[in-house]
Amino acid sequence: MRTLIVEMIEPKRLGELVTVSREFCEQPDIVAVGTGQIPGSFAKAYQVEDTVAANLVSDLASLIVNEGYEVILLTASTLGSGIAAPLSVKLSAPVVSEVIRIQPDLVVERPLYGGKAVASYKLNKMPAILTIRRKYFEAADLQGFTDSSLLSITEKKVELIAEKEEKTEGIPLEDAEVIVSGGRGIGTAENFSILQDLADLLNGAVGASRGAVDEGWAQPTQQVGQTGKIVAPSVYFALGISGASQHLAGIANAKCVVAINKDEEANIFKRARFGIVSDYKKIVPVLIETLKEEA
Amino acid sequence: MHIVVLAKVVPDYEVPAGDFELTNSRAHARYKRMMGLYDENAIESGVQLKEKYSSSLTIVSYGIKGDIQILRKAVAMGGEKLSLVVGNSDDPHIIAANLKMAIDKLEDVDLVLAGQQSADMDRGIVHGMLAEMLGFTFIPQVAKIEQDGDQWKVIQNTESGSSELKCGGKAVLSITSVPENVPRIPVVRSIFAAKKKPVDTLSEIEGDAMLIDEVLVNIPKMESVCEFLPAEDDMAETAKILLSKLREERLI
Repeated sequence: MRTLIVEMIEPKRLGELVTVSREFCEQPDIVAVGTGQIPGSFAKAYQVEDTVAANLVSDLASLIVNEGYEVILLTASTLGSGIAAPLSVKLSAPVVSEVIRIQPDLVVERPLYGGKAVASYKLNKMPAILTIRRKYFEAADLQGFTDSSLLSITEKKVELIAEKEEKTEGIPLEDAEVIVSGGRGIGTAENFSILQDLADLLNGAVGASRGAVDEGWAQPTQQVGQTGKIVAPSVYFALGISGASQHLAGIANAKCVVAINKDEEANIFKRARFGIVSDYKKIVPVLIETLKEEA
Repeated sequence: MHIVVLAKVVPDYEVPAGDFELTNSRAHARYKRMMGLYDENAIESGVQLKEKYSSSLTIVSYGIKGDIQILRKAVAMGGEKLSLVVGNSDDPHIIAANLKMAIDKLEDVDLVLAGQQSADMDRGIVHGMLAEMLGFTFIPQVAKIEQDGDQWKVIQNTESGSSELKCGGKAVLSITSVPENVPRIPVVRSIFAAKKKPVDTLSEIEGDAMLIDEVLVNIPKMESVCEFLPAEDDMAETAKILLSKLREERLI
């Protein structure tokens, strides 16, 4: 099936979509969004520098119709969510968001009810648009680069004034093998520094629940969960996190969850491999001290 | 300026996974119904704009008649009226077409705000479909909105930080949660006043469903069994046990 990937030029995101594309075709085409070389080998590549979703929809729709693409793949991201739904109306095409599994015969799975249930859908009409949830598909190793032709933008609806990148020291959350995450139980923004100390010793990153982000104790880019980052670390320390299903949806692929919470009834213990019913302030400094002694 | 905020009433999204049950492939009817997780952030954003720019604010919803009493909370937060399209489809295309119909009837809408995704189907696509049907500009994941002359200046949260964007004309913005739009609890006077505010109920129109078959909905098994480590006496010992177990399994 003719498959088109539409994605920012970012090797891991592209790699995951290339893996998904192999369910539908041997080699996909790509519309690469942003500047720089396009990593990987694609049958045909287009490039567009404009990264604002609203500006891309019309020209993508024309390209898809003219080239006869049957499957359109995007990451479930700010860009993907800005393109997928308007594009589906333009093309009268079905759209399935946050896909986590592809089965044979064009059946795709996605979570609903905050990850408490999973639905399977059969695609009956092409083209079909899929946004793929991150960290559910192993990223393909992208070899070499593909030359591209320019995809011109004819309808600039939105102007990009500025972009601000939240600099995080150390390993990015999405790539961290160890994540130390805090929720409302952490109490204050200042208390997050102890999480950073533990994360640093374990060569990890600091995450946060939606509640902690809403309190302003952590950056939105640190939010882990269904509507934040989807992560897949070896160890996920959940400190003062109750374990709402929307948060658990973001750590479904964590190999081991260590839950530390004063409330022994907290839902997070149902997902945890190891649990400590205690105030994190009692155990985390001791963990830090032990790690320092062992270093 | 006339702002519309979309609100959806959903089954209790705080039901823990272990207690969650389905009937006919949907959340069990016994769960209490409540306003969507992000819809309250969208309403709060709408109310702040209303206060800043002296706008009018209408709550628009698609759902069952029984939702009206829950949607009155949205009105109490700062809405002036409620427009409910009565229907029970789960199809995003049909829902978007019905929301369009309700917005068209209001005639003078400048800005539509919606939570970034509903707390039941979790699709995050209805607002984008609605924007395209209305011919409005669509921007997702919006954290902050300001009017700048005849344009909207918005801050959009992205995976790596944020973008400052500007657009003219009419727009649909999906709202994410940030500390600035955590909903204020309505005062008692507003709750009583909301009971007297107008409610328009509209019959749904027949829309074209998305060509896709729902094959199955099931509840995934959570297989993790938690091993509780001692936490009463010697925390140093507990820390050593934990680190040793993580190392044994080569997790750290």
